[in-house]
Amino acid sequence: MKYSYNWLKELSGAKMSAEKAVEEITMHGFEVEEVEHVGLEMPGLVVGEILEIEKHPNADKLQVVRVDVGPSLPASLPNGERGKGNILQIVCGAHNISVGDKVPVATVGTKLPGDFEIKEAEIRGVKSFGMLCAEDELGLGKDHSGILLLDKSAKVGTPAGELLGEKDTILDIKVLPDRAHDAVSHVGMAREIAALGGTETDYDYDNLILPKKKAKNLGVKIEKAELCERYIAVAMKNIQVTSSPQWLKNRLENCGIRSINNVVDVTNYVMLELGQPLHAFDLAKVSGMQFPISNDQFPNKSQISNSKKQTEIIVRNAKKGEKITILDGSVKELSSEDIVIANEKEALALAGVMGGSVSGVSDSTTQIILEAATFHPTSIRRTRTRHNLPTDAALRFEKGLDPNLAEKAAVRAIELLEHIAGAQVRGIVDEYTKKKKPWTIKLDLSYTNKLLGENIPEKTSKQILEALGFGVKASKKEFIVNVPTFRLDALTQEDLIEEIGRIYGYDKIKAIAPHARVQAAPVNEKRMFARKLKGVMATQGFSEVYNYSFYGQKEANLIGMGSVKHLELETPLSPELALVRVSLVPNMLKNVKENLKNFKDIKIFELGREFWIDQDLLPEEKMMLVGAIVADQKGKKGQINKREESPFFAAKAAVDDLMAQLGITDHYYDTFNGSPLDTPRSVWHESRSAEIKIEGIEKAVGYLGEINPFMLANVDIHTRVAMFELDMEALRSISSEQSEFEPLRKFPVVSRDIAMVVDGQVRVDDILKIMQSAGGNLVLDVDLFDIYDFADGTSSYAFHILIGADDRTLTSGEIDGVMEKITQELEKKEDLQIRK
Amino acid sequence: MVFTAEAPNFRPILIFYLVFFIIYMLKEKIASIKKEALEAIQSVETEEALNELKVKYLGRKSEFGNLMRELKNVSPEERAEVGQLANDAKREIESAVTEAEQKIKASSFDFEAERIDVTIPAPKLKRGHLHPLTKIQNEIEDIFTSMGFEIADGPEVELEKYNFDALNIPKDHPARDMQDTFWLKSESEKAQDRILMRTHTSPVQVRYMLSHKPPFRIIAPGRIFRNEATDANHEHTFHQFEALVVGDDISVANFKFIAQEFFSRFFGREITVRLRPSFFPFTEPSFEFDISCTVCGGSGCKSCKHTGWLEIGGAGMVNQNVFVAAGYPRNRYQGFAWGFGLERLAMMKYKIDDIRLFHGGDLRFINQF
Repeated sequence: MKYSYNWLKELSGAKMSAEKAVEEITMHGFEVEEVEHVGLEMPGLVVGEILEIEKHPNADKLQVVRVDVGPSLPASLPNGERGKGNILQIVCGAHNISVGDKVPVATVGTKLPGDFEIKEAEIRGVKSFGMLCAEDELGLGKDHSGILLLDKSAKVGTPAGELLGEKDTILDIKVLPDRAHDAVSHVGMAREIAALGGTETDYDYDNLILPKKKAKNLGVKIEKAELCERYIAVAMKNIQVTSSPQWLKNRLENCGIRSINNVVDVTNYVMLELGQPLHAFDLAKVSGMQFPISNDQFPNKSQISNSKKQTEIIVRNAKKGEKITILDGSVKELSSEDIVIANEKEALALAGVMGGSVSGVSDSTTQIILEAATFHPTSIRRTRTRHNLPTDAALRFEKGLDPNLAEKAAVRAIELLEHIAGAQVRGIVDEYTKKKKPWTIKLDLSYTNKLLGENIPEKTSKQILEALGFGVKASKKEFIVNVPTFRLDALTQEDLIEEIGRIYGYDKIKAIAPHARVQAAPVNEKRMFARKLKGVMATQGFSEVYNYSFYGQKEANLIGMGSVKHLELETPLSPELALVRVSLVPNMLKNVKENLKNFKDIKIFELGREFWIDQDLLPEEKMMLVGAIVADQKGKKGQINKREESPFFAAKAAVDDLMAQLGITDHYYDTFNGSPLDTPRSVWHESRSAEIKIEGIEKAVGYLGEINPFMLANVDIHTRVAMFELDMEALRSISSEQSEFEPLRKFPVVSRDIAMVVDGQVRVDDILKIMQSAGGNLVLDVDLFDIYDFADGTSSYAFHILIGADDRTLTSGEIDGVMEKITQELEKKEDLQIRK
Repeated sequence: MVFTAEAPNFRPILIFYLVFFIIYMLKEKIASIKKEALEAIQSVETEEALNELKVKYLGRKSEFGNLMRELKNVSPEERAEVGQLANDAKREIESAVTEAEQKIKASSFDFEAERIDVTIPAPKLKRGHLHPLTKIQNEIEDIFTSMGFEIADGPEVELEKYNFDALNIPKDHPARDMQDTFWLKSESEKAQDRILMRTHTSPVQVRYMLSHKPPFRIIAPGRIFRNEATDANHEHTFHQFEALVVGDDISVANFKFIAQEFFSRFFGREITVRLRPSFFPFTEPSFEFDISCTVCGGSGCKSCKHTGWLEIGGAGMVNQNVFVAAGYPRNRYQGFAWGFGLERLAMMKYKIDDIRLFHGGDLRFINQF
């Protein structure tokens, strides 16, 4: 809320400057979001009336204006040149002025903000003796659209500064919900400032007591007690609705509220002062609420007889489907949870949120019912969100208000309406069954110091609490604190400790190391493992991306995941962020696509969560490591004909290395057989994808492959992309076994080569298995080093076979024997021919 | 010449002179061989010629060899002296040979033809880059674990009760508006079964407290979500870091200490922490905390808008209602909780001006880290 510092000073008796107050409030109370200076004190700036406007003889865009500035003109100016008598000649560029306008004139010698002094000047051959000012030139705002036009009633020659508002500093202070019931008001903020500056507030809050003047013909009925804790209705007559006096207008406008008329302005003014929203109903406009005697009418007989009839204001829940036209002109269909203020016939206002258009105050209003009430916060909050009406009143009521505040506000409003609008009270109804009384809190002083970690003297604590309006009775080592009802937030010891701590000053609390046991932190294995994975990926040349956990239905459809059940956001920011991801692939493909604009080679990875709906309320969150590779295809336009140049193998190499670094030695690649629950088959290239498995474990730990070219085309990627997905937890459970050192070989190892032509159906893995089993434990390793694909679908493979023994040097005969055995076994396969 | 018996006995003297002469001759010889050898080696041009010289001067049948054999005839003392001399000469010749060898080898290789322009840029090594948030998170975790903190973790899709209710933010509480929430559609009709994208990492603390007893020190880093439109300073998805310390007498003063310790280590300079009053439903008292400007140290500069301070995050003493919700007796324990955004810290540390870069996946950004 915006606070006027002049007003706060008045109420708090503070002597400190606005700058000091900002500092104090910031450090001990609330965040000051903005400080703005308003109003002017500018000698030489006077009200002028435009008498003549002529085109500048030598400049198309300029005008020569003659302005009457009255007798206030400094006598030092040479009479003849400046114009006749009180009339100044001024060259001006703005075109929003016309003859008869009243404008602020900075006469020669006036200092404008920015230390800009007005001097006599000659502009393109025409003399100019001052300046007509726009808003920004006066430092009042940012408007430079034209000359600031003053009210026509402004008196020529008077200082213009006064008309432009009292000089004041406006503080925009952010008050959080815990203090919304008291500090979002000038009185509440003044209490803080007084406590901080050691002054007494100059506001007789306690003596704002409602006069006991019963309304004979007005009744208030609250249908359900929980809807409304208190309802005060004040009937007032003899109202003259006019515009408000300047001081009232200025204060409201400085605090960001538009002036409407004196009645509405008073309700707003009291809200700014005390924090209690008020509402005024026009009696005459409300059928069924008409008072029998109007001041403007001679009371005739029928009205007198009518006067026995009680007029009732009803606070009730709306009927389902009930409609009301509210002040902003919109029609709202109400829910049975909304609270309305009604007469016997219809709803007149959406209680605590906005008045109805029918019963609003207008220029012809002469009688009003002033409402000061305390509505149920949760109901107001629901109504506010249901109808999307975040009005000032609603935002205050929903945070809960002290019902005793309604009385203070009613009294203040009556007082002001009597002064400003000539109103007279006819009668008051105060429906208040369960009176809110102050409560006490026992405050343990040793706990106070133990929680703050600072020894604050008892005396200081007492002073602080009392300055804030709490009653303190000190007994041994504790206070019995009496909490005034305007501090609804103070319910526990800790609430009071906070008051003591913040006013005392958190900056005075010295930093102290905690007493803690010296103890190594328990290790979070998952985090350690995640870090290890990321480290391995980075050393392999992969860069890490972070993507949103969301994508849209469209994105899901494009890569064939549209039918997978996703968690959905109730109110997504956009359709592309509506689903919670079950795969990291869609967003990573987006990364690939975007980065292809700048890079030819791309290696990226993400370690993030997938969210799979299961039987539990919360989804299963699966941590996945996903990598994507695009290899520069040197202008081949994605035409990789050689199988081994497929990025599949780059991805496979990455997985192999990762496994090695994790100490996993028994992983292998199997034909793709994945359940659609884990990864949709359609994402992958049909004949270039595999499951990553671990010996002895049925379920795959991940998937690897080129992305289906159709899917890539769908997302507008026109190059081959290989990806892999690995389940982090599965990897972690396997890699936890320690890998052991293998002794260095003591006896020589011999490498022999073997080459063969095979049919396209033969898998290298099968060949390797044959060689291994034929060679027994003398075959240490087999390494495929050359592949050639023939046009007829057959391929040539060449292998290095490493042969050796643990306990001796093999003879060449033994080595030949091994090779012979391998050759024999391989030759048994019909679709394979050894090349000799 | 005939020596008579009467003649004085010159023999010993002669022998003396003879030995002296032999030694003199040997020394001369060594010197001359050395001189000859060094000259020869100096002018040698081919490897073969050098090999010949090696045999001639250093081989077994070389003049040095003969010389050594002659040494047998002199007394041990003199032998040592001459031997030393011979060895020195031999070593000198050897080193001249090595030098000559290198010279011959060098002359057979054209270094000039091999010349490279050392200013040609080397090919770029393609290393991978960790995301800046990962780096920041690792750093933070390392500092905290070194202070004995445990890293706790929890789900990103949360139950309403852990994200709000257990943190003293009941339904319809205005404080719920402080965090715009992504609610998730749920098939269940029951209101208490509502689920959401967690709006802070505090539910991790709740879950931890439900299964652990104080004293403890934990940190909970992680991804959080707010239903908020994005711009250069706002993101709907970002990362938070929370710390929670609970014990018998943990105080505001302790919080200040830990916070100062952490930030001083993180920024590698002395940092002071400033607390301002604030409000969070789960802490009482609550603070906003600022740190002394990491650029100017507090004297005022552009980075801190001339205030000397940088706003970092929120903190407070754990509200007793939160302990009660976790199953601890009211007023049995004291503790502090604090949190801040990783993005904000990364933006400060690396001077990044647009928060959207973090989740943009643009390698031109990521590869700078």
